[in-house]
Order: sequence, then C-alpha cells, then structure tokens
Amino acid sequence: MLRHARRGRAGLAAVLALLAPPLLACEPELTPVAPATWVVEGAREEIAADNCGLIANLGVIATGEGVVLIDSGPSRTLGEALEAEIMALTGQPVRWVLNTHHHPDHVFGNQAFANAEVLALAGTAEAMARDAAAFEANLRRLLGEAFAGTRLRLPDRAVAPGRHDFGGYPLELHAFRGHSGADLVIFDAATGVLFAGDLVFHQRTATTPHTPGLQAWIEELDRLEALRYRVMVPGHGPVDHEGAALAQTRDYLAWLDRHFDEQASRGATANQVREAPLPERFAGLALAEYELTRSLSHLYPRYEQRWLWGEAP
Amino acid sequence: MMQNRNRLGIWLSGCSLVVIPLWGLAQGAGDAERPGPAPAGPAEEAFTSSADPLGSFMWELYRERYLGDAPYVFDSRVRLSAPGFAEDSGQVPLDIDASELGDDFERMLAWVELNPIPLIFDYDPRSHGLPRLSLNVRLEQASPVRVAVQRHGVWHIGSTHIEAEGGGCTTPGIATTESRWEERFGEVAGRRFDHGEQSQLRLRVMHPMDSGLIPSQPAFHIQRFEVLDAGGELISTLAIEASVSENPALGLHMKPLEGGYRVGARDNNGNRFSIAL
Repeated sequence: MLRHARRGRAGLAAVLALLAPPLLACEPELTPVAPATWVVEGAREEIAADNCGLIANLGVIATGEGVVLIDSGPSRTLGEALEAEIMALTGQPVRWVLNTHHHPDHVFGNQAFANAEVLALAGTAEAMARDAAAFEANLRRLLGEAFAGTRLRLPDRAVAPGRHDFGGYPLELHAFRGHSGADLVIFDAATGVLFAGDLVFHQRTATTPHTPGLQAWIEELDRLEALRYRVMVPGHGPVDHEGAALAQTRDYLAWLDRHFDEQASRGATANQVREAPLPERFAGLALAEYELTRSLSHLYPRYEQRWLWGEAP
Repeated sequence: MMQNRNRLGIWLSGCSLVVIPLWGLAQGAGDAERPGPAPAGPAEEAFTSSADPLGSFMWELYRERYLGDAPYVFDSRVRLSAPGFAEDSGQVPLDIDASELGDDFERMLAWVELNPIPLIFDYDPRSHGLPRLSLNVRLEQASPVRVAVQRHGVWHIGSTHIEAEGGGCTTPGIATTESRWEERFGEVAGRRFDHGEQSQLRLRVMHPMDSGLIPSQPAFHIQRFEVLDAGGELISTLAIEASVSENPALGLHMKPLEGGYRVGARDNNGNRFSIAL
C-alpha cells in the first residue's frame, strides 16, 4: 500500500530530510510475495493528486543480474522513488522494464529508468504512441506537481510471447488483448507468480476503455487460469493466493456483458442502466459506480448497435 | 449536398475563440406569450423554488434569451438524468422526464449553459408528444444543463450539472468519432418499444452534426425531426442544434397510435431522412 510522506524514522532520517529535496507525497512500498519477488500495491482509487497516481500494482523480480520491473507507475518522480527503493532493498539496478499495457498508470515511470531497457508488446508500443498526448494531458491535469517533468518514454523494443531469459532468469511472456488490445502477462514458473496486468482486478472494479469486447476478455481469463499459477498479482487490488481475483473479474465481466445486453434489448437508455442498482457482490468493490458509468460510455453503444441499430430482431 | 470536411476529432476544437460573438448571434427562442405569474399552490411548493438550485451566474442570461418575461419556477419534477462526469464529452447521455408534471405541456427547451452553442433542442409535442425524451449531447466544459417545460403558460425548470473531464485513461471520442463518415452518412435505424400508455421510439441517424465552429468546416447538421402518423399528419416536432452529438440517437416518447409512426429529419443542406417505426 501507499505510505504518505513521513515514514516515521526518527533521528538521523529527520535530520537528513531537512537537507534532502522535498519528500515525495507518496512513496512506493515493496511487499514480498515470493522469493526475490515484491509488489507495490497501488491505491484502489482513480488517479488523483492525493495518491500521486500510484493506483496500479507494480512488480519487482530480482534476478541476481539486475531487476525486472513490471510496470513503472504514473510519473517520473514516482519512478525515481521506486528505483531508489528497489536498489536499497535488492542491491540490484533495474535492467528491464516490462510494460503490461499502454495505460498511463502503468507506463509514465519508464522515463526514470534510464539504464534499463523498456520492453512491451508491439501493440502496446503503438497504442502508447497513439494516446501519448491525451494521456499526458490527463495526468498533468489530475496530478499537477506530482507529474512535473514527466514525458512518455516509449518502449525500446517489442517483445514476442514465449520464454525469455533476463540475466539467466527465465520468465514466460504471454500475449493477450482483452483489457487494452495488447496485454502482456508475465509468468514466473519458478515461483508460481503470475503478473496478470489489468486482465485481472481484485476488490476494485474493472475498467474498460480500450477492450476489444467483454467476451474476448472473458475467454482469455480461462486461458490465464490454465497457467496453474500459485500467486496472482492483479493489475489493481490485493495480491491473491486463493484464485479469488480471477474468479471475481470473470464474474463481474460476465455480469456486465449480460446486463448490458439485456438492458439494450429492452430499449433501456445508458442513464437507466446507470441508475439501476448493482448486484450486492459488486456494489462493495472499489469504484463500482464510477467504473460502471465509464463502461456505459465505452461499451453500451455496442449493445445498442446490436439491438437498436442492427437488422430488425 | 455534403461538404468537404476535415474530421478534427473533437467537435469544437478551437471554438472558445468564437464564444463571445456567438452570444449575440443565437436565435431568440423566447418570443413566447407572456401570461401573468401563476402562483404555486400548496401541493406545488414541495417541488418548486424560485431560487436557482445550481446558483449559476449564467441562469439569468438564458432565462432572458429563451424564456423572456414568462413566469418560471425551478421544479424538481422536471427530472434530468445524466452521469456526473463526461467520460466522452462528445457523447454525454441525457434523459429528461417531466411526466410527474402532467402530460399536457406546450413546449420543452433544453440548453447547456457553457456550450458555445447552448441550445440543445426545442420540442413541440403537438398532439402526441409526451414530456420525456433521451439523447446524447456535447459538452465543451463542465456546465449546468437546463430543461424548461412550459405548462399552462409557466416554465418549469429542471437542472443538473455535468463535469466535463473523464479519468486518466480517457481518450477523446474513442468510441464514437467516425473518421469515414461518408460511408454511412444518412443511414437511419431504430426500433419501437410499446409500454402500454406510451410508445418509445429509439432511432439514430448517421450524421456528422458539424457545428460550423471549427475553422474551414461549415455548419452541417440536422435541424429538425418530425413525427408523423400513418396518414402523414404531423403529430410532434423536435428542432435541434449542433449541441446534439454526432450521429444523433433519440428516444422519443409518444402517445399510442394505431398504425405506427414515421419519423423524418432534415439537415441544413436540405438532406432528408426517414424511418417507419
């Protein structure tokens, strides 16, 4: 989780703080999830100045020959803080940054890792280039000072799915598309940790701005489940050891798909769907109403297309 | 017929440059008759107020322009439903329902206070229109949205406020802006849903709805929808402005009618569109 400002170390730290540049409002905290593997859990909130945009989960694997960082966070400042934290904890520099997909809460820290190679699926690099200006404007508006000096650093190289060695440390890369059009999933067979990116959300409602379609996404969750992971690192929300995160994501997406389809078939407007009560099991998820409102904008026109503007049923 | 156009993504890019001259140009929709004030009875008072619930400094300007000196009251029975924020500011869904006021009304107007083209529509129910409709609107910036329903000479005002900014992953017009609009221009599709005492007509016309505010892109938009009965009799009309989104998608509510409905539309270049529902 996040720690806000003051880290509570008395004495020397307090004196040093007086000499150091102003503290970052939010500091990334690395939590161990498996041998040589850590996760920074983002806030279960929308990008905002209060959380410095640190809302996505970030993964760290220390290979012995340098660190693989999975997603880089929302800003240059956050990336720099993360780099220092990783060096302090592992004694190894970040040598590889993998971007799971192109969304801004996952990629704007790339810039901070000047000595690392930034890798992503080819589709992710294209989407980053396409949306860079819009995302930069959004984050500048939402984060203000916390985004100062940040520019989008595009991936250095496209990666293909398959087994890759990172300083002799093997990781399986899998290519999906259900969440954003190009979604990289990283599986560490040695530890059983699966970094699912935003294909999986946990205790936080799924967000849908660039999905090719809910059914495509749901089908990919079945393939993801077949990877026999032991530890699930979702893109947002707590790390899961019980298989609950994937099941929850699938349950929500399947409900959303059925619900939109059924409502559109009856001629319901987007506002009527927005105002209808959520099932209890989803109403308690973080950002439930907010993400439903957004998904109505992203996806409901497709269901209206089918029922209202298509061939007469 | 159609104009040569450059699709620029967002409808009103650069339009803030022309906001000021527009204030003086918009047509007066407010040459209504001026009946005397209608005092609210005890039953009305639970819903009404003489003070703007949004406290907007723009209220008086548009009251004067659209309603003139006719009596008005803010009335919670004129219900507006819209998301609190615009995920896609080119397509913001707006539902209006003033059924609680009663089905007999003379006219309905809607406007977005801080849009360069504030007026959304001017609805004349004639014989069959009900005080309920849905459509998508454009939002230039966060703004109050107003709906005024004239009933027995008094304007009943409903209000809401919509924020214009979406979240961090929002990209403008991603779901909607057609880069190859000519291919489907003029297609009309729709469906009728009968709900007993009313028929809901959902229809969409593929049309760019260009406002004319983007340099080198002339105004090119639908101006008017007409609802006709099977005999060709005009039973309701809806005049719209380019504050209505690209590819206008309407939900109109009509009194039941034997033989179904025909909805026609025409744009400012003389193109006509029509569908039987």
